[in-house]
Amino acid sequence: VRYVDAGYVVALSVLAAYAAGLVLRRRRLEQAAAAVNGDAAGAPIPQVPRAGSPTSVPGWSPGPEPR
Amino acid sequence: VKPATLRAVGVGAVVSTAATVWLGLWVTPPDRTQGDLVRLLYVHPAIAFVALYLAGGTAAVASLLYLWGRTRSLFWDRLAAASAEIAALFSALTLVTGSLWGRPTWGVWWTWDARLTSTALLLVLLLGYLALRRVPAAPEVRAKRCAAAALIAAVDVPIVHFSVYWWQTLHQGGTVLNPELNVHIHGSMAWTFLLGFVAMCLVFVWMVAMRYRIGVLADRLGGEELEVSLAERRAEGALPSVGAEGALPSVGAEGALPSVGAEGALPSVNAEGALAEVGADRAGPVGPRTPPEPVTPGPTPARSPS
Repeated sequence: VRYVDAGYVVALSVLAAYAAGLVLRRRRLEQAAAAVNGDAAGAPIPQVPRAGSPTSVPGWSPGPEPR
Repeated sequence: VKPATLRAVGVGAVVSTAATVWLGLWVTPPDRTQGDLVRLLYVHPAIAFVALYLAGGTAAVASLLYLWGRTRSLFWDRLAAASAEIAALFSALTLVTGSLWGRPTWGVWWTWDARLTSTALLLVLLLGYLALRRVPAAPEVRAKRCAAAALIAAVDVPIVHFSVYWWQTLHQGGTVLNPELNVHIHGSMAWTFLLGFVAMCLVFVWMVAMRYRIGVLADRLGGEELEVSLAERRAEGALPSVGAEGALPSVGAEGALPSVGAEGALPSVNAEGALAEVGADRAGPVGPRTPPEPVTPGPTPARSPS
């Protein structure tokens, strides 16, 4: 009987551990995705006006040419 | 898969597995020849079925569909990866539970029997597949490589299935899936046996859906470990989040980078966030600004007069 018990315990515990690992991994990735998305939403997009185009920020003008 | 469906499958898997354990250990009678050892029948063949036919088959079919030009999609690659990982897990469990059954019935933990050896070979092939997935490569290259490996591993599946008929083996033939389709099990034992298969199939469906979702998220984040550790560091406050105050990340903050548009075609982007179209909206009204100081890239070597 101990072989039977061992078979059930090993099978069920390994499956349960793997399932729990999947849940934790998915949760961590979803949190990471939310963090990255949150940062992306909060971060400004660098916008560089092209040469000759009107600037979007009032009062802005290009600086002197680099030497 | 919708979250509600996945949850329902998960609940079904837990309930049916619990019912199988209850019926298998306490309700069904012992066998005339094997006694209580027959109770492993409700676990071991169901796990082997998932490893070989369900997970192994899904990995093989998904890999084939990826390699076929008309259906080529990363969906099939991710499905194959998820199935192969679960197939490896179930193959290992098949070997362990089979070994626990073999010790009291055959007298040995392991023998180089055709069924056992071909199953062990399948596990090795699946581990090779999983190792191949970790080799850095472009997604398409990796997918193609792994699909070929999965098809090589799939060749072993019919060998495992027919090994008990092709060779003289210690392992018994199929209880249900035998050439005569003659079912050698009846009554409550048959129902529990069937319920074990249903339970393991539900477990597989739930696991493959979860593993697929993890694959999608990891691909989207472009590297699971990096992103998770970054998120953890940010959560700890060790790293400032990018653009937390609507400011641009310091590009060339210390003169490390030369100004963008070194020939004057483009203005420089520097630490002060001189260009902050979005940032300006966030920070409120912005008054007139002085032109930003360009970051001098350093002394320019004199050109030769030629």
